[in-house]
Amino acid sequence: MNIRKLAWKNLLRRRSRAVFTGLGIFLGIATFVAISSITSQMEGAVQDQLDRFGANIVVSPRTEQVSLGFGDIALGGTEVAHSRLTMADKERIASIHHKDRIRSIVPFLMTAADASGKNLVWLGLPGVDVASARPWWKIRGEATLTRGEVLLGAEAAALLDTGPGRNLTAGNRLYRVAGVLQPTGEKEDGMVIADIADVQALAKKPGAVTYFEVAALCKDCPVEDIVAQIGQALPGARVSAIRQVVESRKAAVDQLRRLGFGVSAIVLLIGGLMVLVTVMGGVQERTREIGVLRAVGFRKRSIFSLLFWETGWVSLLSSLLGAGTGIAVAYLTSPVFGIEHPSVAFFPAILGAIAGLSLGLLGAIPPARRAAALSPTEAIRSL
Amino acid sequence: MEPIIHLKDVSMVFGCNGTRTTALAGISFDIRRGEYVVITGESGSGKSTLLTILGGLQVPTEGAVRIGGAELSALPADGLADFRRETIGFVFQSYHLLPYLTARENVMVPMSPARVPPREKEGRADDLLASVGLAGKEDRLPSQLSGGESQRVAIARALIHDPPVLLADEPTGNLDSATGEQILDLFSSLHARGKTVLMVTHNPSIIARATRSARLRDGRVVEDRLLRSPSAKPMAV
Repeated sequence: MNIRKLAWKNLLRRRSRAVFTGLGIFLGIATFVAISSITSQMEGAVQDQLDRFGANIVVSPRTEQVSLGFGDIALGGTEVAHSRLTMADKERIASIHHKDRIRSIVPFLMTAADASGKNLVWLGLPGVDVASARPWWKIRGEATLTRGEVLLGAEAAALLDTGPGRNLTAGNRLYRVAGVLQPTGEKEDGMVIADIADVQALAKKPGAVTYFEVAALCKDCPVEDIVAQIGQALPGARVSAIRQVVESRKAAVDQLRRLGFGVSAIVLLIGGLMVLVTVMGGVQERTREIGVLRAVGFRKRSIFSLLFWETGWVSLLSSLLGAGTGIAVAYLTSPVFGIEHPSVAFFPAILGAIAGLSLGLLGAIPPARRAAALSPTEAIRSL
Repeated sequence: MEPIIHLKDVSMVFGCNGTRTTALAGISFDIRRGEYVVITGESGSGKSTLLTILGGLQVPTEGAVRIGGAELSALPADGLADFRRETIGFVFQSYHLLPYLTARENVMVPMSPARVPPREKEGRADDLLASVGLAGKEDRLPSQLSGGESQRVAIARALIHDPPVLLADEPTGNLDSATGEQILDLFSSLHARGKTVLMVTHNPSIIARATRSARLRDGRVVEDRLLRSPSAKPMAV
């Protein structure tokens, strides 16, 4: 017989109280582990979805403003590009150090050209990249784009009074209208979208590129590093991160994390209070027993230790059980939260088990101190 | 012979909301090693208060208590706990066994904080249980024991540290007369083995077993009789 065994035996005797004491910790830790686990998996999922949402880096030629004038006569200004981008630059971008972080590089070419007698802006991009580069486009007709086909912005279609399946002419060539975009509120509403090779031919600029859109997978890598590396690979280009997209991604993930920790903290606090209240009530109930122990020579420290061990056993068991339940709940409910590939997150479980044990022991300190401070005189009055 | 228990002008006054109750009013007496002292008195005479003071559970409001050479008022809280564990064996009227522990475990309870090998603790508990006539009942819970058997377990628990002084508060109060006699026989045999026994009781028939009797009234010793020499053999009752 030692203090640990005495504590254990007492717990077995007061099973319902022990279960009630442990319930708070169990629920707290299960919630903490489940939420932490789901949140951390959701972070990945959200990041993944956001990454799929579109590009976050734009590569365009570096330009300089040049003012034109003669004597006192000002003729306005113009932008002069230091160099032009070509299709070959795609390979340079794809060869940077963080190349494994790059999901896609899509070249775009813009030019103004005649379309069935109307002067419109043509936007060229590889037909195969339409779905990944502009996933938010809603297209009436065919969503695919091959050589000799075009997609029309809603305003352009209205201007040309044409629609899917009909044809338009440009540069003495016939193009089939594959589909019409629903209004986006952006500039593409007035554009003709075609395969980049067709637009290069129309503009008589083979291999020319106006800008590249780069989608980087940046769950745990700084976009700034990728921007810098692309800048080194293409010295004549201006590389800029679409900061708003990056910031909104971070904000969305941070909000999720804050929500998770907030809920967990509240549940854990309630768990800790439950320990405090039930153990305090237990001390009150056990004044007689504490009196007997003091009478047979238990020091204050031994009484404190006894109460501490009792709560320690409860906290340990309920924390482990809570961590296990939290993992199971997180795993089973992952699909509900849009996590396609659920995994077992051990770190939150270990953290939860340690937190539960610490919280239980912390909650036991005031009642254990109270029990230890109980004077034998007070205790023996109930004998 | 140096007294094992020495009380000098011991008073105990309880006060609450201006009301003062004097439980003990300047008691002085000595108890020598090996005495078997029975203290009688009516309810409220101060018997139990005296016992708790001697057991180091309460500190008197006035006076000095020295037991086994230790001045109790000079001991810190942990010192008093050590004193209770090593010098005093308490036996209560209601046994106060822990209901979730077996007889053996109850006997071992005072040794729980001590770093003694479990087998040694168990061996000592089993020997004590055998010495109080409970061999074979070591694994029974208090609920599976009779009143007399429970009191024997309580006595074994009081003896686990082999204290020189046994304090008993109405140890037969909850027992029928035949079982009570058996418990008193046990106390007599412990006295015969050299223990100093101080027993508080309402039952005047117990006096016949003692070497000395004292009677309390209103917190004062009104009678103190030496019945026989402490070294004499216990009287057959």
